Amino acid sequence: MRESRFPIVMLGMALLFLVGPFVVVFISAFSGDRTLAFPPSSFSLQWFAKVLTVEAFQASFVTSMWLGVLSTLLALLMGIPVAYALARYQVPGAEVIRVILTSPLILPALVVGLALLRYFVLIGNNSISFGLLIGHTALLLPYAVRVVSASLANLSRDIEDAAHSLGANRLQTFFRVVLPNIRGGVAAAGVLAFITSFNQVPVSLFLTGPGVSTLPIQMLLYMEYTYDPTIAALSTLLILFSILFVLLTERLLGISKYV
Amino acid sequence: MLSQSPARLAAWILLSPALLFVAVFFLPPVIALLLESFHVGQTYGLQNYLTFFADDFNREVYWRTLWISLLVTLVSALVCYPAAYAVLKINPRWRGLIIGLIILPLMTSPVARTYTWLVVLGREGIVNKSLVETGLLQEPLRILFTEWAVFIGLLQLMMPLMLLSLVSAMENLPKDVVPAARSLGASEGQVFWRVILPLTREGLVVGGTLVFTGCVTAYVTPALLGGPRVTMLATLLYQKAGVTVDYAAAAVISAVMLLTTLLVNFLLRGRAVKTARAA
Repeated sequence: MRESRFPIVMLGMALLFLVGPFVVVFISAFSGDRTLAFPPSSFSLQWFAKVLTVEAFQASFVTSMWLGVLSTLLALLMGIPVAYALARYQVPGAEVIRVILTSPLILPALVVGLALLRYFVLIGNNSISFGLLIGHTALLLPYAVRVVSASLANLSRDIEDAAHSLGANRLQTFFRVVLPNIRGGVAAAGVLAFITSFNQVPVSLFLTGPGVSTLPIQMLLYMEYTYDPTIAALSTLLILFSILFVLLTERLLGISKYV
Repeated sequence: MLSQSPARLAAWILLSPALLFVAVFFLPPVIALLLESFHVGQTYGLQNYLTFFADDFNREVYWRTLWISLLVTLVSALVCYPAAYAVLKINPRWRGLIIGLIILPLMTSPVARTYTWLVVLGREGIVNKSLVETGLLQEPLRILFTEWAVFIGLLQLMMPLMLLSLVSAMENLPKDVVPAARSLGASEGQVFWRVILPLTREGLVVGGTLVFTGCVTAYVTPALLGGPRVTMLATLLYQKAGVTVDYAAAAVISAVMLLTTLLVNFLLRGRAVKTARAA
């Protein structure tokens, strides 16, 4: 019996809807016009050149990179031991621990940002960057735990037992046997965490201010005042960056397993 | 028991940095904010909630948030069921590319992704231009800064989550149930309603929960595509806390948002677990 073409047509439409707008922006970014119009009447690289000259973008790009790297490292440093403990030991109350550690994902991110602003920055007199780092690290921790857990689940305990019986202690076993075997999962967790931090808006929204701001927040602010294709050019750069990331990680690690 | 206690100690040493971090830096601020929503003068009560919901505008924002989220959930389920089926039917050589295209919006900066709709749906955008040039419309439609723009933006944002949940649910379908149902004479509709839907219900529930709660809490999409005319819960929260500095109202909105997402999680997921256990 012949199957209907209906599912394929729906998939095609869904993909067009998901990716089509990116193509439009991609073309608009090369516009030679003064304002945003599609299709552009002439082509140039002027908007890409302009992106590089906007000071707010430069400073916030550096902040976003630092924030992404630091919070990813912190989340991995705390998350890998958690994943290992939950996978290998009978921990009483493991379910409760899981819930506590994933609570940053369950809570609406905007609420998290507001809570941190009120508690640490306004009342606790800490710096804005402190609040940002806490918020991003808390948000990334569940990703780190989840992805590393998935990768540990595929690792047989036998090789650890073998290492033990050959005289390796726990630490040696972890660093020489376990870690090398789950490095794909750790790298995938790191990539996902970094992208999540780099693109993050709601947690950062309340935690940025004079002096400290991230790139996505600066883009939002810029769009309040101007409506030229600079944002199209910057968006294109960010989209290309995402495509590269997706390709690289899919090829290296098969990231689609973890999303 | 001699071997058990060092193992237990090791487990707690591994767990403690993360647990301490969350317990010291994360939970107290959130609990303080939620408590603040009950704070009235020197005592605690429901006054802030009553004040908030007594306002017509606030109630309207809440209902709008709920129905747009529900609509996005329903439409994404309708589109993604056949699409997910197609993902698994298609030549496996293409599957990597298709999954990549589905994941791409998830990996893209939400500001860049939402900006694309400003370009596409604007008065001078490609949708309006082609509608006017083909003579279907006299005047360009106002799509941006309406509820439909928010709906479209959220649908794009959330569809990948539904699609991926359904793809993984269908991957676990026993290979021959669909051909078996067909060979026994089931129509396409019967195959879907009596075979595919019951067996993939858990994926639908997981996807639906992610989509609905994601819509209720989304900020960037309503902020950019809805503008001041189409306020949603998240944009109202930002206005109260960031613009008018009404922290009591902001705390109430935070609590309402959290309760709504928890309730949906509880109702839907609880049911999914029950049916999975019964099955």
